[in-house]
Amino acid sequence: MLRWVPIIFPAVLLLAAFAGCGSSTVVLMPDRDGHVGEAVVTNQGGSQILDKPYQATSISGIGSAPTQPALMEQSEIERDFARALAAEPDPPVVFIFYFNVDFSELTPEYLSLLPNVLAAIKKRDSVDISIVGHCDTAGANSYNFLLSKRRAENLAHILTERGVDESTLSISWHGENDPLIKTGDNIFEPRNRRVEITVR
Amino acid sequence: MASADNGDFVGSVKTAEGEARVERAGKLLSARAKMKLNIGDKLVTGPDGSMGILLRDNTSLSLGPKSELAIDEFLFTPAQSKLSLVARITRGTASYISGKIGRLSPKSVRLETPDATIGIRGTKLLIKVD
Repeated sequence: MLRWVPIIFPAVLLLAAFAGCGSSTVVLMPDRDGHVGEAVVTNQGGSQILDKPYQATSISGIGSAPTQPALMEQSEIERDFARALAAEPDPPVVFIFYFNVDFSELTPEYLSLLPNVLAAIKKRDSVDISIVGHCDTAGANSYNFLLSKRRAENLAHILTERGVDESTLSISWHGENDPLIKTGDNIFEPRNRRVEITVR
Repeated sequence: MASADNGDFVGSVKTAEGEARVERAGKLLSARAKMKLNIGDKLVTGPDGSMGILLRDNTSLSLGPKSELAIDEFLFTPAQSKLSLVARITRGTASYISGKIGRLSPKSVRLETPDATIGIRGTKLLIKVD
């Protein structure tokens, strides 16, 4: 294991010496939902936009413009990127807990969701779990800020009581300013009274 | 938004195979699943290595063999509109899948190769640097 260290460093230095003489390729892919976004590849030589699935552009040196986008064959993608694609982590899972008006205690309905959260944490071996509290706009903002904090802390407490390592949790709270459903002030909106748990 | 201090914590290693390391403050650490990552960390894989990470905003990055990728910038405080992700790929192959930063503020995400800069709007990309 340790013998690998002196081997990699000369390789890094060699690469740095030749930076700019190599080449890069950028390929636009559909995401997990099949959605295709857009990428803009730019250097001193020019710029190209990728906006169709499997479009690729190549760059050979900082001064030479990115090539005209062209479709990359699946076989080429497989040849070059199979390992990087295979190493993609499972996507994070999100659980949403809703609360009754002015309450920070979980309703029985949502208490029954807890085993699913614990199972996801275990399956993913997660060390990065975020718990984010939210509330609706009914009542004073300052009060709601504290309410969403209490909701988040309450859930964190329930998870640690059930054996989740506290150091893996990050707790935050938004008050009224990040609603799932946008409303005016002083509106009761059950879908905004929530805590989102994301297990990464 | 308020929260407990996250310091330099940007995410964690989720998959690691073969020679997979994290270069931190000039030291090469052996990478394994559950390892927490900091700003400035560089992921390095050997000839048979690969690794995948998830950042705190749900961004996914994974590397094939003989690859290097550094997390140069990461800011994720949505309520204060503090959003930034800059990753630099200096060799090998990588797959990027955008997370919340890419969705909330596409212009705050930048991927860099030695000879180009890539701006991204909510999507998945593959990058190869020879």
